[in-house]
Amino acid sequence: MNDTTIVVSGLRKRFGSTTALDGMSFAVQPGQVTGFVGPNGAGKSTTMRVILGLDAADEGTALIGGRPYRSLRRPLCHVGSLLDAGALQPSRTARNHLLWLAHSQGLTARRVDAVIEQAGLRAVARRRAGGFSLGMRQRLGIAAALLGDPPALMLDEPFNGMDPEGIVWMRGFLRSLAAQGRAVLVSSHLMSELQDTADHVVVAGRGKVIADASVAQLLAAASGDRVTLRTTAPSAAAVLAQAGATVTVTGPDTLTVSGLAAGAVVALLSAGAVPFSEVSAHRATLEDAYLELTRDAVEFRAAAPEVAR
Amino acid sequence: MTSGTVTRDRTAAGAGRDGFARVLRAEWTKFRTVRGWAVGTLVAVAAIVGLGLLPGLQGSCGKQGPASTCTLPVGPGGQEVSDSFFFVHQPLAGDGSITVRMTSLTGLLPAGSAGPRGPAGSPGPAGPAGPGTGEEMRAGLAPWTKAGLIVKASTQLGSAYAAVMVTGSHGVRMQDDYVHDTAGPPGTVTPAAPRWLRLTRAGDTLTGAASADGTHWTTIGSAHLAGLPSTVQAGLFTASPQYVEAIGAAGASTGPSQATAAFDHLDRQGTWPANAWTGEKIGGADNAGPLERGGFDQSGGGFTVTGSGDIAPAVSGAAGLGTTITQTLAGTFAGLLLVVVVATMFITAEYRRGLIRTTLAASPRRGRVLAAKALVLGAVTALAGLAAAAVVVTFGQRILRGNGVYVHPATALTEVRLIAGTAALLAVAAVLALAIGAALRRSTVAVTAVIVVIVLPYLLSISVLPAGAARWLLRITPAAGFAVQQSAASYPQVSNLYTPADGYFPLAPWTGFAVLCAWTALALAVAAFLLRRRDA
Amino acid sequence: MTEALHAEWTKLRTAPGTVWLLLGVVAATVAVSVMATAAVACPAGGCALDPAKVSLTGIQLGQAVVAIVAVLAIGGEYGTGMIRVTLTAVPRRTHVLAAKAAVVTALVVPAATLAVLACLLAGRLILPGHGVTAGHGYPPLSLGDGPVLRAAAGSVLYLALIALLSFGIAAAVRDSAAAIGIVLGVCYVLPILTQVVADPHWRRHLQQIGPVSAGLAIQATTELPSLPISPWAGLGVLAAWAAAALLTGGLLLRLRDA
Repeated sequence: MNDTTIVVSGLRKRFGSTTALDGMSFAVQPGQVTGFVGPNGAGKSTTMRVILGLDAADEGTALIGGRPYRSLRRPLCHVGSLLDAGALQPSRTARNHLLWLAHSQGLTARRVDAVIEQAGLRAVARRRAGGFSLGMRQRLGIAAALLGDPPALMLDEPFNGMDPEGIVWMRGFLRSLAAQGRAVLVSSHLMSELQDTADHVVVAGRGKVIADASVAQLLAAASGDRVTLRTTAPSAAAVLAQAGATVTVTGPDTLTVSGLAAGAVVALLSAGAVPFSEVSAHRATLEDAYLELTRDAVEFRAAAPEVAR
Repeated sequence: MTSGTVTRDRTAAGAGRDGFARVLRAEWTKFRTVRGWAVGTLVAVAAIVGLGLLPGLQGSCGKQGPASTCTLPVGPGGQEVSDSFFFVHQPLAGDGSITVRMTSLTGLLPAGSAGPRGPAGSPGPAGPAGPGTGEEMRAGLAPWTKAGLIVKASTQLGSAYAAVMVTGSHGVRMQDDYVHDTAGPPGTVTPAAPRWLRLTRAGDTLTGAASADGTHWTTIGSAHLAGLPSTVQAGLFTASPQYVEAIGAAGASTGPSQATAAFDHLDRQGTWPANAWTGEKIGGADNAGPLERGGFDQSGGGFTVTGSGDIAPAVSGAAGLGTTITQTLAGTFAGLLLVVVVATMFITAEYRRGLIRTTLAASPRRGRVLAAKALVLGAVTALAGLAAAAVVVTFGQRILRGNGVYVHPATALTEVRLIAGTAALLAVAAVLALAIGAALRRSTVAVTAVIVVIVLPYLLSISVLPAGAARWLLRITPAAGFAVQQSAASYPQVSNLYTPADGYFPLAPWTGFAVLCAWTALALAVAAFLLRRRDA
Repeated sequence: MTEALHAEWTKLRTAPGTVWLLLGVVAATVAVSVMATAAVACPAGGCALDPAKVSLTGIQLGQAVVAIVAVLAIGGEYGTGMIRVTLTAVPRRTHVLAAKAAVVTALVVPAATLAVLACLLAGRLILPGHGVTAGHGYPPLSLGDGPVLRAAAGSVLYLALIALLSFGIAAAVRDSAAAIGIVLGVCYVLPILTQVVADPHWRRHLQQIGPVSAGLAIQATTELPSLPISPWAGLGVLAAWAAAALLTGGLLLRLRDA
């Protein structure tokens, strides 16, 4: 179990006068998709590069199954990764690109053909990778990440450059990888991309973790679900308030209800014989939760010096 | 993909002159905003200046007291000359003539097989501390060993003269005032086949003639020595120049040689004194060894004259003294390398990251983009080269002289040509690199290709290749362009290793440069063609 | 390490340029050698000539192509960013560097061997027609002749060492164009400057420590005492330079972020 986790603790790194990582700590659990979100410059890519041993952290550790990446004998069999889909020799064919990677892990061409199939690249496997569209390159990168059949995967912005069909494919693909029991870390600067994909979200900002919670927790912690109710009956507000909901008047015949699901609202109004013309539910989005979180983080930071005083 | 739209765009007419000015400005901005390129160009300047001002050459001129100062006599034409020979002379007043029969010409050459020589190195044996004593010698004649009759304005070094002579292997010659040379009948002299020579003065005109039998005479030529005094020194002479032999491709063995000529049947017409002949060593080092000192012997009607030295234009390098100001521009090679790398990257960097598509979207007329890049590169490198060359040509020769190296003085015009030529050489080489880079689109291959065509022929010609092959390489490859940096003239009548390392090229300065330009024009045409034809 | 070697081998094998570049090494070397030998003129009076060295002149051009192969082996990866994929697959820097160096050497050595043998054959066939004959004191070139064998084997080693030197430089500077610039500077400009600038005394010292001038001493078969450095010692100097470049490249690869 421990073998499949990615654990990052207390990473710090400076590039000249810029602090890229400022105590980044989190863990990626198996069997779920962990979203790694944050605005540009939050330190997501740097963290991933440190995990992969490409950059050395000034402080802290990044371990794959308890070991630093650089000590792994066949690293691609422990963690598959995709950092930059364009990082390949343009004149080499997709298959040959995967072939040398396979050979570096002691794998055979049979495994290469398997991942080509998995990533849906069979038709273009013998074409030069330099001619690929960005979406095709992302698929090639995914294939490379899957090569070692690793229990953990780490993908940097995999949705970039994908067409809608590709995005749907990618989402399903990530879900299926998690369903197989793998730990999947996916970074994105758009929370909405992870809405239907991630089980767990690590939110980064200014080189550290702002929030580390399951998607369910995040959504609950966010302002929650709201229901918009169109009714002319004055009793509606009272009925709903009695049931524990917060009701605000947002228009001449419009009420916004929070704290109750849309179904409960309909049941209550029907039971009380209150007439209404429309009930619509608004789910809180991860985006809302994310914005709320990052706002809190900023406020917390502003308040911090006073605490120190 | 995008190429379809680009193709349509670029057929649309641009905005004329303004359009080009904008492309030019854009390319200039592109160039100056990449720090590495600006630094590379500055380092190129620094390399040229550094290598030009910190030369490793050391000489002995002026280093061993005032007597060791190196000066060369100046001939009537204003150029530096060698004027050193053994002269057996009498004054001749007014017009007259002298006739003699030469019965033998023999000589001694250095035994050879010395170590590799310095290309433009320390002063040769003509310098103050020259060798020439105790060296092993072998019998033989240098090709330009000279012996015969001479009429000279005075015994002063560099004074006007005319002479008719038999040479080691160039037959009978008529020469005057150091640089003029006219061929007479071929062949050398043996007791079995003696050679008659005659030199006649009539006013300022001297006429040389040769004969196999003393009866049938062939006029070789005549010389006009303006301002020749009425009384001149006339008589017999022998000179044998510094002997040079190439060892392999890069080495040479040099050493003084000596010749002895035997004369008889001396006949004088005109006003000659009755007293004896004076034998005198003209020119050469004061402390010369016995080999170079020479001498003469008069017995019966015959003379034997032994001498060393040469009466000819002065050259630098193996057979001569010191070096030329071209030496100060040695750093051009290092500068060139940097310029080529920067110039190649100016275009290949665009291909590496796809920037070329942005460039061509902004300026769809591709030929203009190439022209603008060439102009920007050419201008920047020319300026850099101009600054660097001006510094080294001006100050480098002073430093060399300070180190005791004899540097042949060059006229101001030559100095200007060297400075402008170096700037032009760098600029055109940069454009060649740009063109090859545009054609190959791969920086590594392009940089190598450019260096291989410009620098490698030069290297091969100074290191490995036999002289003939080396000369061909420097005629037809872009390396011919280095000819623009030569400051010394080569003379057929002076045996020397006229090697590129000594600053001698087979083509005239601007002809050599034109070869480089022709290659560059060809490369630009190919690059423009490919740029238009290929998808970006 | 075996896996790293296998991967690098596959990588170079599947890069379409590699085969052409290796053919280029052979073609360039042989072409220049043929031209150089055809340009020789040895009259009856004898000539100071080193037949083996002249026959191997093409190495001077061949080394440029070898340098391209070596520089691209690592510089090309920095150009595309693929080096990060490589280091992700094989995180131990020393293994990556050693595997690449080994594969480059393994590719260069056969090409160099082929080129050198072809050069000697060309010399053997062409030189006698230009006066380089037994009658003039030059027996036909033969690998059975000790010095000729040394020149031949040494030239192969020379090219291999130039490859390693170029590779080390490319690993250190991480940019193909800059690396090839430095390598060509070492191979071509340094010998010219040594020849042209320096005082004879200094020149000899510079030729003793210059990687190319010292390394090429291995090609000499005549006038050995007049060489600035003895053949094997010269090759040793080049080997030291190559080792220093590899060490620098390796250290920087370990110390720097990829």
